[in-house]
Amino acid sequence: MNWIPVILAFSVLGLIGLVFGVILTIADKKLKVETDPRIAQVRELVGGANCGACGFAGCDAFAEAVVEGKVKPNACPAAKAAAIGEVLGLSVEVGEKKVARVICQGHNGVVTQRYEYDGYKSCATAAGVAGGPKECRYACIGLGDCMKVCPFGAISMENGIAKIDENKCVACGNCVDKCPRSAIRIIPADTKVIVLCRNADTGRVARAACMKACIACQRCVKTCKYGAITVENGCARIDPEKCTRCGECAKVCPCGCIVDYSVVTPEA
Amino acid sequence: MQLSNGCAIISGGILFIRATLYHLFNSERLVLYLPKYSFRGGIHPMHHEHEGKLPSRNVPIRDFVSDTVCIPMGMHLGAPSKPCVQKGDHVKIGQVIGEPVGGLGLPVHSSVSGEVVAIEERISTGAAPALCVTIHNDFQDEWVEGIKGYGNVETVDPSVIIPAIKNAGICGMGGASFPTHVKLSIPEGKTCDTIILNGAECETFLTADFRLMVEYPGKVVDGLRAIMRALNVKRGVIAIEDNKPEAVEAIRKAASGREGVEVAVMRTKYPQGGEKQLIRAITGRKVPSGKLPIEVSTIVTNVATAAAIADAVIDGRPLIDRITTITGCVNKPSNLRLRIGTIIADAIGECGGFSEEPGKIVMGGGMTGFAAPNMEISVAKASGGIVVYNEKKARSVEESPCIRCARCVEACPIGLDPYRLKHYCDKGDLESAKAHNVMDCILCGCCSYNCPSRRWLTASFKITKEAIALEARRKKS
Repeated sequence: MNWIPVILAFSVLGLIGLVFGVILTIADKKLKVETDPRIAQVRELVGGANCGACGFAGCDAFAEAVVEGKVKPNACPAAKAAAIGEVLGLSVEVGEKKVARVICQGHNGVVTQRYEYDGYKSCATAAGVAGGPKECRYACIGLGDCMKVCPFGAISMENGIAKIDENKCVACGNCVDKCPRSAIRIIPADTKVIVLCRNADTGRVARAACMKACIACQRCVKTCKYGAITVENGCARIDPEKCTRCGECAKVCPCGCIVDYSVVTPEA
Repeated sequence: MQLSNGCAIISGGILFIRATLYHLFNSERLVLYLPKYSFRGGIHPMHHEHEGKLPSRNVPIRDFVSDTVCIPMGMHLGAPSKPCVQKGDHVKIGQVIGEPVGGLGLPVHSSVSGEVVAIEERISTGAAPALCVTIHNDFQDEWVEGIKGYGNVETVDPSVIIPAIKNAGICGMGGASFPTHVKLSIPEGKTCDTIILNGAECETFLTADFRLMVEYPGKVVDGLRAIMRALNVKRGVIAIEDNKPEAVEAIRKAASGREGVEVAVMRTKYPQGGEKQLIRAITGRKVPSGKLPIEVSTIVTNVATAAAIADAVIDGRPLIDRITTITGCVNKPSNLRLRIGTIIADAIGECGGFSEEPGKIVMGGGMTGFAAPNMEISVAKASGGIVVYNEKKARSVEESPCIRCARCVEACPIGLDPYRLKHYCDKGDLESAKAHNVMDCILCGCCSYNCPSRRWLTASFKITKEAIALEARRKKS
């Protein structure tokens, strides 16, 4: 067997490898880009879902901005802000936790159905067909446009209405932008007593549309000792500043549209 | 690139030869041996059932007047009109009951004489409830005073035609309901050399335009002449598909001796009656992306609109009725001349009621119509048909994954890539969808019809188009 070509091939390739190795080593040392090691650490601690709630192009861009001091760590609702503060040697005040809530209880069976929708499974499309399949024009349509855009998987569809998992929700607001009914609101997580209805129609029309619609009967207004409730545009509104979370209004509401989350978890 | 250039040269060549033959020998017979006017893509929906037109095709138009009409104020594109009558008022036929609002506004006229019983918001096929004026008919058929026409369209002063169209409240009656006087106002710096009347009626089930052309061809030609004279245009083409030979004959007879009026026989294909498809087929011009037909010096209107224009100019008669096809699962499929605002339950009752348990009622044709939420909605200026499906036909099918067969690409008359667009639209990637020209989609439904996986292509393009338009409006404000 002729070994010379084999040895030649190995040595030529080896030589080329050696030359490139030397060039790359020199290049690595000479052309090194200084990166802050803290960026990688911060990147680990932010949400990581590229949800866009911070206003930056993604989590990488946000981490860079945090290390450069352009933005505070708590701008990311999903970040472990205190841990980032430790990395950067800053004291970070952790803002109050906010969550997204569906302002509607129009489950199947509770809300009057206008027609049977049997088309493309999208709330935006259904909302355009004769005012939506539910009689109430403020109701959650329940075809899951919000579920599709939630980067944290916090939204599920149960019984014809969106349900948000408080523990997974970071209040990024993607669902709020997507909802064609504007039926999702971002509110502080400790707001426990909430009017879960936005129906501004008169009592009779609202009642015909949904069994759990606010009919503006004013009973909550009369019951509240702190003057926290007003009825505006045919729907009750609780002032979070004055509300003491006593839950008396939820007890007297004849339609069950005021819910006290500290007592009950609303039915699915 | 070379292939498309080659196609353009060949189709342009055919059009040139056709025009030469037509003008030299003034004969359609020679032209018959050439390929018929058509466009790229498209489908043949319900081809084996004659596009579903057979049941109502040979039924003559008959009048129907119901005892109550419910006239929506927002029948045209643009801001809804403002009601100018009160509950309890007595109105006469042709009396203005809604005043125009804004640049795209149109007046609304009472279609019956009688008493106004309600002015209220009612659910219609659109997203928002529409303000409607309900009038109880007293069957006296009294016309309002002061209705005055201008007589013959050939001798009328051209400057009065467009105001007459506006005062008659005429909007596009083919479906898009764009105010006609706005369409006929040529913007600064643009010219118009061809008017095309769309009598293709490529939409499935509908025969209203066909019956109109067979029974009132003179009105259609008069309307075309009125538009041509108002805009000082020398060429007017009435485009009819080749599955309507009776209409071609009738229109040809009516058009003989009329200056500049031609009849073009088109191949039967959907969407032959699309604005851009018609212009491409007849003039060989291509409307640029995102532009209106006036960009290529062409205006397209529907034949029903032309007939309404003829009425408005000759008799000064406002748009108070229209011909509507009622077909599908009804006992007597018919073409009815309905007063604007007729409740569809009454119209279906006039056609003998349902022959089977209805599954869905579609306002418009089978390809582009909208489902009606109940039987209480009313016939508007652009409602060309009411189609009743049985349970079996109304059933929708779960969508399955795309198999990349490209049948949607083959069918798309615009030349888009529907399978790829659908991917972006489902993801909510508006930028990529826009880059792939989703805004040029005409929502004809060819891709969805052809898809073997039954994917909801057109529906997803529709919401994406709306989302992009909303975003543009948000940025502006």
